[in-house]
Amino acid sequence: MARQDALQGSLPLLVLKLLARRGPLHGYGMATQIEAMSDDTLRVEEGSLYPALHRLEETGWIKARWTTSETGRRARVYEITAGGRKQLAAEEERWKAITAAVGKILKHA
Amino acid sequence: MSLWSRIVNVFRPGHVQHELDEELQFHMDERVRELTAAGMTPEAAAREAARRFGSPLRLREASLDVKLLPWLDSMVRDLRLGARMLRKNGVVTAAAMVSLSLAFGASVAAFALVDALVLRPLPVRQPDRLIYLTVPTGNPERPEGDTFSDPVFLRLRDAARGHVDLFAMSTQVLRPAKFDGPAGEKEQLRTQFVSGDAFDRLGVVPAAGRLIARQDDLQPGAHPVAVVSHAFWMRRFGGDPAIVGRWFTLADSRFALEDRPFQIVGVAERGFTGIEPGRPSDLWLPYAMYNPRAFGNFYFGWFRILGRLNDDVRVEPAQAVVQAAFTNLRRERARLDGAGPARSPAEAARFIVTPIYLRSAANGPSPLRGQFERPLWILAAIAALVVLIAGSNVANLFLARTAVREHEMALRLSIGAGRGRLIQQMLVESALVAGAACALGLLFAAVAAPAVVGMLAPAGDPVHLDLRVDWRMAAFAGGLTVLTTALFGAGPALRASSVAPMIALRTGGRSGIRARVMRPFVALQVAFGLVVLFVGSLLVLSFARLSSVNPGFAASDVLLLSIEAVRRVEPAERRAALLQVLDRLRNIPGVQAASAADYNVLGRAWTYGFSVPGAQHDKFEATMAPVTPGFFETMSIPVLAGRGFVSRDIEAQHSTAIVVNDAFARRYFGRESAVGRTLEGRFAMDNDSAADYEVVGVVADTRHDLRKPAAPTIYILLPSERSGTLHVRVAGDATALASRLREEIRAASPLFRATSVTSQAAVVGDTLLRERLLALLAGFFAVVGLVLAAVGLYGVLSYSVVQRTREIGIRVALGARQLAVVRTVLLDAGLTAIAGAGLGLAGGLYLARFAEALLFEVRPLEFWSLVLPLGALAVTGLLAAALPALRATRVDPVIALRYE
Repeated sequence: MARQDALQGSLPLLVLKLLARRGPLHGYGMATQIEAMSDDTLRVEEGSLYPALHRLEETGWIKARWTTSETGRRARVYEITAGGRKQLAAEEERWKAITAAVGKILKHA
Repeated sequence: MSLWSRIVNVFRPGHVQHELDEELQFHMDERVRELTAAGMTPEAAAREAARRFGSPLRLREASLDVKLLPWLDSMVRDLRLGARMLRKNGVVTAAAMVSLSLAFGASVAAFALVDALVLRPLPVRQPDRLIYLTVPTGNPERPEGDTFSDPVFLRLRDAARGHVDLFAMSTQVLRPAKFDGPAGEKEQLRTQFVSGDAFDRLGVVPAAGRLIARQDDLQPGAHPVAVVSHAFWMRRFGGDPAIVGRWFTLADSRFALEDRPFQIVGVAERGFTGIEPGRPSDLWLPYAMYNPRAFGNFYFGWFRILGRLNDDVRVEPAQAVVQAAFTNLRRERARLDGAGPARSPAEAARFIVTPIYLRSAANGPSPLRGQFERPLWILAAIAALVVLIAGSNVANLFLARTAVREHEMALRLSIGAGRGRLIQQMLVESALVAGAACALGLLFAAVAAPAVVGMLAPAGDPVHLDLRVDWRMAAFAGGLTVLTTALFGAGPALRASSVAPMIALRTGGRSGIRARVMRPFVALQVAFGLVVLFVGSLLVLSFARLSSVNPGFAASDVLLLSIEAVRRVEPAERRAALLQVLDRLRNIPGVQAASAADYNVLGRAWTYGFSVPGAQHDKFEATMAPVTPGFFETMSIPVLAGRGFVSRDIEAQHSTAIVVNDAFARRYFGRESAVGRTLEGRFAMDNDSAADYEVVGVVADTRHDLRKPAAPTIYILLPSERSGTLHVRVAGDATALASRLREEIRAASPLFRATSVTSQAAVVGDTLLRERLLALLAGFFAVVGLVLAAVGLYGVLSYSVVQRTREIGIRVALGARQLAVVRTVLLDAGLTAIAGAGLGLAGGLYLARFAEALLFEVRPLEFWSLVLPLGALAVTGLLAAALPALRATRVDPVIALRYE
C-alpha cells in the first residue's frame, strides 16, 4: 500500500516521461513498462492509471486516439503533446530539486 | 478535451461509457493473455488480473467525472427522469401546464401592457429630468389640466430660463394630408406642433435631414416645414431617403390650413414617436404654423408645456420660479380685463393664486395612462392571483405524486443518495413544468397583449403600444418562472426528501402523505379564486348596468355619415346643398328621419359658461350642440314643451331660435317655463358678438356620458359654413342601406361625398371601451380561477378518499351509514373551503376598493355583488366534491380491507 501511495503524486510525471521517451503507448503498455523499469518496486494498482490518463488528456498534456493493436483489437493509444513536453520539463526540474533536497537532509540530518 | 467536449459528453453518456469500458477491458484482457502465456490457468489469470486492476466501477466513475461535468450530468439525468415521470402522468401534467401557461401568459401580457403604458421611460436623453406643467381645473374627473396658450408659454419660458428650459408640444390631432398632388388620396396623419427647441431639449436627433429647429419659430405662418417619424417614413415611403425635400399638402379647414403646402425637411430618429405612450405621431410641424388666431390669445389653449430641468436644479426652486411668473401674469390679466364680466372679487383672487405644478414627464404625459393605468393594474393583480391558483394546483399535483413515489425516494435514500440530490430532482421537475408553461405563456401573451391593445381605443383611432420583447420582458418571464418553481416546487421537494426510509419501505410505500398537507394549498386556491371571482363579478355587473342605462336617445338604427365638401364654397351654397342632401335622403324608402349635427350626442361641440340669474355663485357649463331641424326625430329625443327646430328656422338669415334640454331649463329658469324666454350669449361660431337667443322648445335630457346624469345642453342651429355629420334613422337592414346612402348623397349634390359610415350604436360602444375591457378580461379570469380552484378541490378530495379507503371500509363494515361516510369526506373539504372563502372575501373586499372608482352603480357590499361570486363558488365546490363523495359511498368494505 505504501508503495502505491508514494507513486500516486508522481504518476503523471512517469506517464509524461514514458510517452516522451517511448512514443505512443496504450495504458496496458505503460503499466508493464513502469513495472519492468522500476524492477517491480513501483507497483501500481493498474486501474488507477486510467483516471490519471484521462485527467492528463483533459488538461491537454497528452492526446489519445484509437488504433489497432498487434493482437488485432481496438486499443486507445496516448501521445504526448507540445504542452505535455513543456510540463514534463518543468516537473522533472521540480522533482530533481525535491529529491536532491530530501536526499541532502537524509544524508546530513 | 475542452469544456465544450465535456458538455457534449453529458448528452451522449452512452458513447463515453462504452469507450471507457472498452479501454479498461482491453487492459484486463491483455493482462490475462500475458499471465496465461506465463503458464497460469485462465481462471487464476482472470482473478490475478482483476486483483491487480482494482475496482473497475469506481475507476470508471472517477474517469467519467473527468470526462463529463458532474453537476450538469446529474441535472440532465434528472431532467430525463423528470420528463419521463411527467409523461407518465400525462393528463394531470397537461392540466397543470395549461393552467399555469394561461396564468403566465396573462401575467406577461399584463406586464407588457403596464410596462409600455406606465413604466417605460421615454426614449429620450435623461427622461427623468423632463417635466410638464399642469394647473388644477376644479373638475373632479380631470383634476389637472395641461394645455396652455401662447402668451402664457412665452412669459413662463422667459421667466424660467436658467432653471428649466420650457418648450411646447401640441396635443396630437388627426389631419388629412395629400402626398401625391391635389388629386391624390387623403391620408389621416397624427400631427403635432412643436416649438423650435423641442427636439433639441428632448435630445432627439434626425435619422435623415434635419429636425424642426429654432429658425422655424421666427414668424407665424412663415415656416412650412415638417418632420416625419421614422415609423411613418418606413411605413409610407419604405425608408426612401429622397423624402427629404419633398412637398405635400396638409388640409385642415378648422385652422385655416386648407391645403397648405409643406416641405419635409427630415426624419426623426428611430424609436422616438412623440411624448405620449400609445399615441405615436407621424408628423411634426413648427409651432409657428399653427392657427394664426392662437398667437397672443389667452383663450386658445392648444399645447402642453414641457421642460428640461437645467443641470443641478432641483424641482422645487424651478417650481417656485414658474409659480411666481404664473401668478404675476394672472395678476396682470385680472387687472387688465377683469377676465370676463361675471368675475367677483373672490373669484379674481382665486384666479390669481391658482397653483401651477411641475409634474415628471419621464414616461410622457398620457391621458391614455390616466384612463387605463388603474384597469391595467387591476388586471395585472388578477393575473397574478391566477398564477397563484395555478401554482397551487401544480404544488398539489407534485405533493400527490410524492406520495406515490415515496417508495422510490426511500429506496434512493437508503442506497445512499443525498437528500440534496432528491430535492434537486424534485425541483428540476417543477422547473420543467414551469419552464414549459412559461414558453407556452409567452406564445399566449404574444397573441393576447396586442388583442388587449386593440380594445383600448375605437377601431378608427387605434392605440399603438410598443410591446417589443426586450430584456425587461425576458427578466419578468424568467423571474416569474423561478419564483413559481421556488414557491410551489420547494414544498413538495422538501416533503419528498424528508421521507423516513425505514417506515416508507416497511409499509410498502403506501403510507403516503396525509391529505392534510394539501389543505393549505386548497384553502389558498379557494381564497384566491374567490378574490378573482368577486372582483370579476363586480366589473361584469358594473358593465351590465352601464350597458342597460337609458341614455335618453335611441342609439340603434341610427347611421352616422361623415361628409366632406370636395371644393371650397360659400356658406350659402354649402347650406343649400346640405338641405338638398337631407331632403333626398328622407325620401329613400327605409329612411325614417335624417338630419345633420356638428357634434355627437355622446360628446359636445364646445361648452359655454353660464351663471344662474339671481344666483351668481351657481355657475355651470352648458354643452353646445349645433344641429339641423329633424335632429330630435332622428335621435328619438322627445320634445317636452314648445317645439323643435323647423325648416324655417334654418332657412332664415339670422335665426336666434334655440332649444334647451330639461336639465338646462330647470337649472337656469327654475320652475318657470323656459319656452319664450331669451338668453344672451355668443353662440355663433363665426362672430364673437353677443346676441339674444329665444328658447323655442325644451327637449328631454340625454346623457353625454352614460355614467353621468344629463348635462345642461343648448341646441343651436348648425352654422351655415358647417355641414357636420349626417344622422340617418333607418328601418331594417342598416348595412345594406349604407352604400345606397353614399350614392344618394353624391347624386343629390356633387359638392359632398361621404367619407365614412358608422352607427350611433358603435359610438355608444366606443365610450364603454374601458368597462368592456375590464368586464371581459376580469370575467374570463374569474371563470378560469373558479375552474382551477374546482380542479384543485376535486384533486385533493379524490386523493383523500383513496387514502382513507381502508378507514371508510372499516366504518362501513362496522355499520356506519353511507351518509355518514359522505359527511366525513365533505366536512373536511367544506371546512377547508369555508376557511379559504373567508380569506378570499376579505381579500376581495380589499382589492375592490381599488376597483371602486371604475364601478358604475355597483357597490362591493350589496346583494348581487356578494351572492354572485359566493353562489358560483358554492355550486362549483359542490360539483367538485360530488364525484369523490360518490366514490366514498361505493367503497366495498371487503375489497378495502383485503387491499392491505
